[in-house]
Amino acid sequence: MSPIEIGAISVVAIVLLIYIGVYIPIALAAVSFVSIWLMRDNFDLSVNLLKVAIGDSAMEYAFATIPLFTFMGLIVSKARLGSDIYEVMSTGFRRVKGGIGMATVGANAVFAAVTGSSIASASVFAKVSVPQMLKNGYNPRFAVGVVAGSSVLGMIIPPSAMLIIYSFVAEQSVGDMFLAGVVPGIMLAIAYIGAIWGMGKLFPKFVGGRPASDYERMPWKEIASKTLPTLSLITIVLGGIYTGWMTPVEAGAAGSLAGLVIAVLRRSMTLKGFWEVLIETGHITATILFLITAASIYSRMLGLAGLPNQLGEYMTNSDFALFQIMVFYVLLMLFLGTLLDTASIILIVVPLFLPLIEPMGLSLVWFGIVTVVGAEIGLLTPPLGISCFVIKASLNDDRITLKDVFLGALPFAAVMLVVLIILIAYPQLSLVLLN
Amino acid sequence: TDTIKAVVIDGYPSRALWVKEFTNFFIPAVDARLAKTGNYKMDWQESYGGSIVKPKGVLEGVKLGLGDIGIVTTIFHSSKLPSQAIAAVTPFVSSDARAVSKAVDEIAKEFPAMQNEFKKQNQVYLATGVVLDTYQIFSKKEITSVKDLEGSKVAGAGMNLRYLEGIKDAAGVRGGLTNFYNMVQTGLVDHAMLWPEAAATFKMAEVAPFMLDVSLGAVNSKTVTVNADYWKKLPDEVKTALQTVAVDYRDHLAGLAMDRAAESIKAYEAAGGKVTKLSDEERKAWVDSIPDIATEWAENLNKRGEDGTKMLNAYLGKLKDAGHVGVRDWTAK
Amino acid sequence: MFQSTFHGISKIANSISKLANVIGTLVVLGLVIIINYDVFARGLFNSPFRGAVEVVQFSMVLIVFLQLPDVVRVGRLTRSDGMLLLLEHKVPKVARVIHFFINLLSAAVMSLIVLAMFPEFIEMWESKDYFGIPGVFTAPWWPIKLIILGSAALCTVLFILKILIPKAGGSK
Ligand code: NA
Ligand code: NA
Repeated sequence: MSPIEIGAISVVAIVLLIYIGVYIPIALAAVSFVSIWLMRDNFDLSVNLLKVAIGDSAMEYAFATIPLFTFMGLIVSKARLGSDIYEVMSTGFRRVKGGIGMATVGANAVFAAVTGSSIASASVFAKVSVPQMLKNGYNPRFAVGVVAGSSVLGMIIPPSAMLIIYSFVAEQSVGDMFLAGVVPGIMLAIAYIGAIWGMGKLFPKFVGGRPASDYERMPWKEIASKTLPTLSLITIVLGGIYTGWMTPVEAGAAGSLAGLVIAVLRRSMTLKGFWEVLIETGHITATILFLITAASIYSRMLGLAGLPNQLGEYMTNSDFALFQIMVFYVLLMLFLGTLLDTASIILIVVPLFLPLIEPMGLSLVWFGIVTVVGAEIGLLTPPLGISCFVIKASLNDDRITLKDVFLGALPFAAVMLVVLIILIAYPQLSLVLLN
Repeated sequence: TDTIKAVVIDGYPSRALWVKEFTNFFIPAVDARLAKTGNYKMDWQESYGGSIVKPKGVLEGVKLGLGDIGIVTTIFHSSKLPSQAIAAVTPFVSSDARAVSKAVDEIAKEFPAMQNEFKKQNQVYLATGVVLDTYQIFSKKEITSVKDLEGSKVAGAGMNLRYLEGIKDAAGVRGGLTNFYNMVQTGLVDHAMLWPEAAATFKMAEVAPFMLDVSLGAVNSKTVTVNADYWKKLPDEVKTALQTVAVDYRDHLAGLAMDRAAESIKAYEAAGGKVTKLSDEERKAWVDSIPDIATEWAENLNKRGEDGTKMLNAYLGKLKDAGHVGVRDWTAK
Repeated sequence: MFQSTFHGISKIANSISKLANVIGTLVVLGLVIIINYDVFARGLFNSPFRGAVEVVQFSMVLIVFLQLPDVVRVGRLTRSDGMLLLLEHKVPKVARVIHFFINLLSAAVMSLIVLAMFPEFIEMWESKDYFGIPGVFTAPWWPIKLIILGSAALCTVLFILKILIPKAGGSK
């Protein structure tokens, strides 16, 4: 069997196992193990690969960013920083058609800068802004769709667990990936706001809502007290990384501490709540890192099979254009996005495509942004769309079905796709802050 | 003609100097030797840059057979490969990569210690590589004496942090090649210890335009090894080819490192950097302030049943014969 | 009779998982404290904590492998179970077979990790190998190998128990 055949068969086997419900890390490890065993007819070699990969993966210094930013995100959610930002934003946007939707996007973009996951964003804003929109006569589908769509910002605007994961697979610096995520994240937020404005003009019924009557200007003092904590956290974390004062790991720790101080000062933290945050952080860290470990077994299996070498050779001998590769790449991510979570998609596709992209002299930082945005479209698409699930679960409202959430999110998934294409076409958008 | 498959591994990417030269020098040289008789032909699979192992994982990867041949970065493995620190524990002796790599390699072949350490890791030692000529100090402000380092923060990596131990109130801050630039730029540290080639690559002249020419010395950091089970099965002709080429590769790499160092200093100066030479008295004062890390090293090996003291003396003797006499006599107790 | 033995083992395994989880949780807190200490000590007192890198690496292993059994226990390992839930509804028999297969495969993978890590632990225990820089900061390897070994062993037991006592420990 040629390396390319082994690569192809293993991907099919992994997808099948995952589809019937096998735990994703187990599927990755099992298929990799069997592949090497069959390929080299050497059981010990398979065991040795497990040994090396398991020992290595968790020992990565940069991975400390995962528990740290998870912890920070959970703490600031408890400290209600998300809803504060939302309230400030909504006073600004209220009079526009679809204004609460725009405020939700804006608040999500800001909140994204202090949380590392979309799940935190989705659950916070499902509880805060959906009821507001329903109260003001918005179409329920639009209301949940906005929240689902904008929750994705949490994992594009840094800090982001997905950017960290990519930086590990592609051996890029976490700091560089974080900086690269800023402009695309802001772009996506602006695109969403523009889309909402457009939908308000073209399909007013889909948006619904009436201009707010109880409009009252928020006093400056209140605006300050609601935004300063978040702004100071952003300054510590992104400022610390951007100036080089702190490594991303240290920025995560400093942000966690600052978040904790804010939560305590606001009296929004009980000992029990604090303990829950710690346990949740541990669970999420273990889940993600075990997945990463399993994926590293898989990518090393591909390496041992010689797949990167073969693909590289194949590329130099054929005349595939970058265009064709990227079309195929995006389609593959969209397909996997229907049933896999973002981290798994990144961990499965990146080792396959890196050997194609690297020899072409393209920026791997840019490729990472493309990958993360592409993989995150899957958060919004059925049957498995994590953001939509979280919103449905957080709402706990029988009038809004899961189908409503998916249909509402669809236009936003389409906007993401358009932004993705722009990001592919103009790498400079991702790289501008790096140079 | 028999075809023999060889998987070569390193965790560093193919653009790294020693990896690139493995591809462009080592492999063609072996192929050319084997082609002379035509008895054997190698089928190389080069897997670099984390596709099978990370930089720290090469030793284990070769041990476990994930790679047949590997370029082990020995400074990561002070506990498994203690004798490899021989150049690092004898600073201020030689800044000639060629002399140091030759001396270390000969020590490896004349004394059993280094080969035993690799044997324990189920691999066969081929040759030592030296890829840097010497650590220097790169600073934000101009410094001319060791006194200027007192009370300051100096970024370094690995064993060279210990060179600072005798300087009053100087704090060694651990960093890596990729973040020295930022560390100096932000004032996190006042100085950074790295070698000129790395300084040029990472544009240190922009943030640290003053280089103090201390010439702390060349350090061995790369060793080419072969998995022992794989080695056993190799025909003698292939074994000889690998061994011979490994020595050529050693000298080729060290020569390149020296050429690059000279070019890099020029590039650093062209980019606005200024080089100040540390006076001989100052160098003497610094080296005398360092704890006796060479004796520590030798005694540690003696305790393990190797001939540490003799190795140390023989190594320094070889360098002396090549015209490199240390500022401090590391053999003295 | 077997069932009650299984339930007994299950109780013990679950308690160990929860305990490990608590310790792992405290390590998360420790991580936040240690890194902040390093940042402040370096910035304000010119005295960085020279073992920060090793301690962070060590903590990561502790967090991941001390919490992993609890993640397995509560069924939170990453998966895509939409199809399986559908089958549970429509053809419960098929779903049961698939559950059996999944748990068996998971137990097999975990036991392979045990198989891989056991000699590794013994070797490190005997050689007392360490990582880090001598004279700067070093930490022994064996506790890391032991934690991974123990974690994988516990996960193996938990998956086997899920086969023996369907729904015990909750598949969801
Ligand atoms: Na974020
Ligand atoms: Na999806």
